Amino acid sequence: MRESVVIMGGGVIGLSCAFELRRRGHQVTVLELTRCGGQASGAAAGMLAPYSENVEGPDAFFRFCLESLRLYPEWQADVKRISGRTFEYTHSGSLYVAYHEADMLALEGRLLWQREYGSSGSIVEGEALFRLEPQLSRDVRAALHTPEESHLYAPHYVAALEQACRVTGVRIHENLERLSVADWQNEIAIQSADGRVFGADRLLVCSGAWAQELSATFGIRIPVYPIRGQICAYEVDGKPVQHMVFGNQGYLVGKENGSLVCGASEDVAGFDTSVTEKGIERLRKWNKNAFPFLADKTPFHRWAGLRPATQDGYPLIGALGGAKRVVFAAGHYRNGILLSPATAMLAADCLEGRAPAEYAQAFSPERFGSG
Amino acid sequence: MADGLRIGNIELSSRFFIGTGLYPNPYVQMEAIRASGAQVLTFAIRRINLESTEDDSILQHVQNGQYTYLPNTSGARTADEAVRIARLARASGLSEWIKVEISANERTLLPDPIETLKATEILTKEGFTVLPYTSDDPILCKRLEEAGAAAVMPGAAPIGTGLGILNPYNLGLIVEDAQVPIIVDAGLGSVSDVAQAMELGVSGVLMNTPVAKARDPIGMAQAMRMGIEAGRLAYLAGRIDKKRYASASSGLDAFKLH
Repeated sequence: MRESVVIMGGGVIGLSCAFELRRRGHQVTVLELTRCGGQASGAAAGMLAPYSENVEGPDAFFRFCLESLRLYPEWQADVKRISGRTFEYTHSGSLYVAYHEADMLALEGRLLWQREYGSSGSIVEGEALFRLEPQLSRDVRAALHTPEESHLYAPHYVAALEQACRVTGVRIHENLERLSVADWQNEIAIQSADGRVFGADRLLVCSGAWAQELSATFGIRIPVYPIRGQICAYEVDGKPVQHMVFGNQGYLVGKENGSLVCGASEDVAGFDTSVTEKGIERLRKWNKNAFPFLADKTPFHRWAGLRPATQDGYPLIGALGGAKRVVFAAGHYRNGILLSPATAMLAADCLEGRAPAEYAQAFSPERFGSG
Repeated sequence: MADGLRIGNIELSSRFFIGTGLYPNPYVQMEAIRASGAQVLTFAIRRINLESTEDDSILQHVQNGQYTYLPNTSGARTADEAVRIARLARASGLSEWIKVEISANERTLLPDPIETLKATEILTKEGFTVLPYTSDDPILCKRLEEAGAAAVMPGAAPIGTGLGILNPYNLGLIVEDAQVPIIVDAGLGSVSDVAQAMELGVSGVLMNTPVAKARDPIGMAQAMRMGIEAGRLAYLAGRIDKKRYASASSGLDAFKLH
């Protein structure tokens, strides 16, 4: 059945859901407080790295991340084709670097289970490692190489998604300043600060860290916290870094536009998105341990975004039990870019009443109880 | 009289030792650690930025608390490796305390008892306050105590399994014989597990996964804290003997006062 859907939030998740729902024939409206992709989405380093981001075990979140990685080749091609825009999407593979012999046990433990889930990874050491990544510090003792992981240029990806939405007929309203849910029990009515009311059959909540504000409206606990992530970028000549390089203190990823992106310093600062000296300095001080050529370099760009983190680390995706017309897709923390295609599929399936994969039970928006 | 716990030269009022890893995000991590009331924090040395511990991705979030750090040697497979890691940690000014953790199997992560004993002997001689994580073997625990361990930390079950106390009999024997504090480390899953451990007379509990991976880690940290306190009080208060048949709680008529 074709329905009208209003989406709160024009970040990567809201836009991806809009794109997918529109492709399935629904009538879609996106409501954004500021500008599309203006928060966590635009601040992301764009890593598509389910294996490096999930080092503990194959839980529901990892499986969801992996599903999304598998959707990416076709998904990104569709976004490019339909939007008529392009963005960097690079199959770089990743290296998770280790400095101590004591790290080997953990890397081996990771490989044991990740190989069962599609990783062709291996532990590389010595000359083999430095052939893969020539400028890597010689203090790096070994690395877990995962060829399956890739990355994209997030600002361009989000812009292409927005364009793909527009050309397919998604209505996007920006700069709405404030939104309130005027009705959700009988029908959907969302009111903006200027008094306009957006009506629809269904509501999809994709407002990231701002989803918590809807707790009283729906009578459920929505423990989503904004975690500030600070990132910086260096200007580099040529392509000195071949892989996404992860370590215990952060990551580095070289983009084809000649920037080397380094993140992330996380802290708790409410909705403050300013960059701090401490946050960037700790990255800068650490980076030379991965790449000595960075020792005397200064980042040319520094920025911060708010990552919507939930109480248990899992996103909130699914329909409300008592009001199926309301569906959530929020709280993706560090993995919104990676999870955008799988979330779009899952949220669209929830809206259409299709049974989701069993692991998606873990993402129920009502799992934290009533509020 | 305060029921304190002394390890090395530090007097603790909390019997909860908590791990800093695995939390879903820094906010939940900080709040859960606060809710636990723990005074001792443990973390893997190999994961820490030893050049600048205040910048470390995990420790930066707990800088402002008054905690005793118990860095661990996890990932070490031999005594020599553990000793090297311990020296690195001390040189960085992190702590004089060290949790010896030596595993040789990436699937079970069970401690290697022989290497653990060796490392404990060496590090004790070097002046560390040594808390070895070990198997729940009573003789081995005694040997670690004799080697100079400030506290001995037998595992309840393999790390992260949440299986609870697999051998309460052994744990009871370990406590009975010990002259140093016994801390149950690893394998606990629930509040009933920690209460059981405390009722068996252990001096404290070290835990990470059951708190960090709970749906509400902050709530679980508080629950575990209360479980530890309840178990400790119950141990001191003394439980009743078990009987085969019922006995009326109102007493026999013959003893009633009329």
